Amino acid sequence: MSGKPRETANVGAGLWKATGMWAWLLFRISGLILVFYLGAHIIVISTGQFDKLNDLMKMFDNPVLVLMDLALVVAVLYHALNGVRIILMDFGIGVHRHKILFWGAMAVVVVCFAVFAWVAFTFIVTGEGVTS
Amino acid sequence: MWSWLFQRITAVLLIVMLAIHLIFTHILNIGELNYDNIAERLAHGGLIAVDIILLAAGIYHALNGLRMVLMDYWFTSRKRAMALTGILWVVGIAFMAYGTWALWPWIS
Repeated sequence: MSGKPRETANVGAGLWKATGMWAWLLFRISGLILVFYLGAHIIVISTGQFDKLNDLMKMFDNPVLVLMDLALVVAVLYHALNGVRIILMDFGIGVHRHKILFWGAMAVVVVCFAVFAWVAFTFIVTGEGVTS
Repeated sequence: MWSWLFQRITAVLLIVMLAIHLIFTHILNIGELNYDNIAERLAHGGLIAVDIILLAAGIYHALNGLRMVLMDYWFTSRKRAMALTGILWVVGIAFMAYGTWALWPWIS
């Protein structure tokens, strides 16, 4: 009887090879980037109490910083969607199909990123937001 | 066990709150962010709750995540792990206090 070998002896084993390993490594790297960003973000935004916020915020209209913000969005989206995949697998959903789940999550990342990129590039080119 | 569970709970909270946060800051107000623009939104209520949840869940999730990474490398013994946990709680509470102080004009 070799009906479903992937769902018996090999449960979870593939998670630490190839796709799963890269997913884990990028999850860890994006997580560390976000930890340091959060710390910096709290410190920067709190300067609003010293009336220094407006000068700082003007800096973020610079195209280079808009692109860096967009890179940050990639880190957030990757970490969020891979996190959703991990939570689903905690519930036993998709453990045997974790690669499909991973690429499905990445498809969601791409779609969400497209919206943020459209807003960012519209701002860089026209100097205005998409709703203004 | 508890840190694992809270990491999941804060993750779900962050996905929802961060989506709201990014839609307001990036998509709707790109290029128009300044103290008055932010203050006006915070004054309307709702978003102050979003910001406080973001602050608390974000700090917990970030530092607990950092703790897990560090425990894989240098803080491998129980003694070191406990010391690390203590230090990160102090750091976390300090950041929570600093962030809350920044939001205080709209909380009070």
